[in-house]
Amino acid sequence: MSSKALIIMVLAIVLSVALLSLVYMLSTSGKQVVLRVSTTTSLYATGLLDRLADEFSKEHPNIVVQFIAVGSGEALRKAELGDADLVLVHAPSLARKYLEKGVIYGGRIFAYNYFVIVGPKNDPANIAGLDPIEAMKKIYEAGEKGYAKFVSRGDNSGTHVRELMLWRKAGLNPKGKPWYIETGSGMSQTLMVAHEYAAYTLSDIGTYLKFSSKLTELKVLVDKGDILVNIYSAYLVRESKNEKYAKKFIDFIVSDKGQEIISSYGGEEFGRPLFYPVKIASIEELKRMWNELAEE
Amino acid sequence: MEGLYQEVLAITLRTLWISGTATILAISWSIPLSLILISSKNRISIFIQDLFNALISLPTVVLGLALYLILSKSGPLGFLGLLYTPLAISIGQSILITPILVSIITSSFQKLRDEVWETAITLGASEFQASIALLREGTLLLIRAILAGFNRAVGELGVALIVGGNIKGFTRVLTTTIALELTKGNFELAIYLGIVLLTLSTIVTVAIRSLGIRGAYR
Repeated sequence: MSSKALIIMVLAIVLSVALLSLVYMLSTSGKQVVLRVSTTTSLYATGLLDRLADEFSKEHPNIVVQFIAVGSGEALRKAELGDADLVLVHAPSLARKYLEKGVIYGGRIFAYNYFVIVGPKNDPANIAGLDPIEAMKKIYEAGEKGYAKFVSRGDNSGTHVRELMLWRKAGLNPKGKPWYIETGSGMSQTLMVAHEYAAYTLSDIGTYLKFSSKLTELKVLVDKGDILVNIYSAYLVRESKNEKYAKKFIDFIVSDKGQEIISSYGGEEFGRPLFYPVKIASIEELKRMWNELAEE
Repeated sequence: MEGLYQEVLAITLRTLWISGTATILAISWSIPLSLILISSKNRISIFIQDLFNALISLPTVVLGLALYLILSKSGPLGFLGLLYTPLAISIGQSILITPILVSIITSSFQKLRDEVWETAITLGASEFQASIALLREGTLLLIRAILAGFNRAVGELGVALIVGGNIKGFTRVLTTTIALELTKGNFELAIYLGIVLLTLSTIVTVAIRSLGIRGAYR
């Protein structure tokens, strides 16, 4: 390499570093605190979190809340890597592992709703109104006989973890069966696949309602049973430097005002709320259920 | 509807800004690097050219994941606090498109040097006139390379999603918005945004084509 070429190269690097730092300075100007929240997709996709953040920033204009929407598994992993100040998840058994590792702490339950088993309108496995575990057994039988298909998230999300729990409780393992389809994608894509294949799937009620106008082939078949309760909790991250602000956000979503937003969200559009607030009367019951689910 | 229009506009402008920065960054080191590669015809420079050719098809998610691990708080460059900022996307995209820029510039300039220069001299042009011709033809090729790189940056999803985090009003670009609207079940909006994206890259592609034709005609 000639000396001329070297000079050009050095100049180029200096130029790009200068450019980079300029852009960097421009992008970080302002004195606001940024609060990074890694959250489950099912919660974010409904639009509830943006609504909560809007109200929160009216009270705390110096705090900017940024959501990173991923599956519960990934959300917790991000906390471990130090890339989130706050975690919102709905997978008690996963959260427990990270609580034990000391990555997260200070968990607060702030909302709940239910998982539902949806399936084709003609219900070939005949599960309508059954107990969830019984329903899974019936789907398995029908699948083996070739009458039914089941679509799984397959992405280590809260919903996927719950689905696997249902199979385990039923004493069955559908993995690798030709009628058991793993999408590896979000809830709405998975519902769409179920719709196309006229298959059964497990969904959180929020995403299903939000999306139901496009799912004409599907309907809710099983929606009763403690094992279907879907509990959303918020956790602080031990490594975070913004602990003080993260606490403020959690305090806000469990406050009367935050709970009011949660309980009314989606009511007008869907005829029923997407989430239930956590009332004093139900908190102990929810904690008990959370512990049961975390044991799995 | 008014709010939606404004948001789409903001996302589009942000996309152009982020990918534009990425392209400028990539140009700043790709042009000198290419010139060095052309001028030194040894084994190493040929190896580097081959390497860059292979890296053109680098999957964006692989690059995104690698950058995520580097920029993460627990990674080697975590102290910079770049993860989940627009600049992180720009840097990622600039790395992504560098092989494209280098490959196009080196291959086209090598050909150009052989053709234009020799032809101009043979036709009786002075060395100065030949240089002007080379530069003029070269500018067009350079713009083509830059537009091709920009097009790739605007249309990629992996890097923007993984190191940008798709944060509303901050790192949300066209491709990540489409992915999000899909998970929300808003297919209509996703298609609408897809058309915006397609229009952008079509404009750029047509620009590349027309420059190519003009270049060839001369």
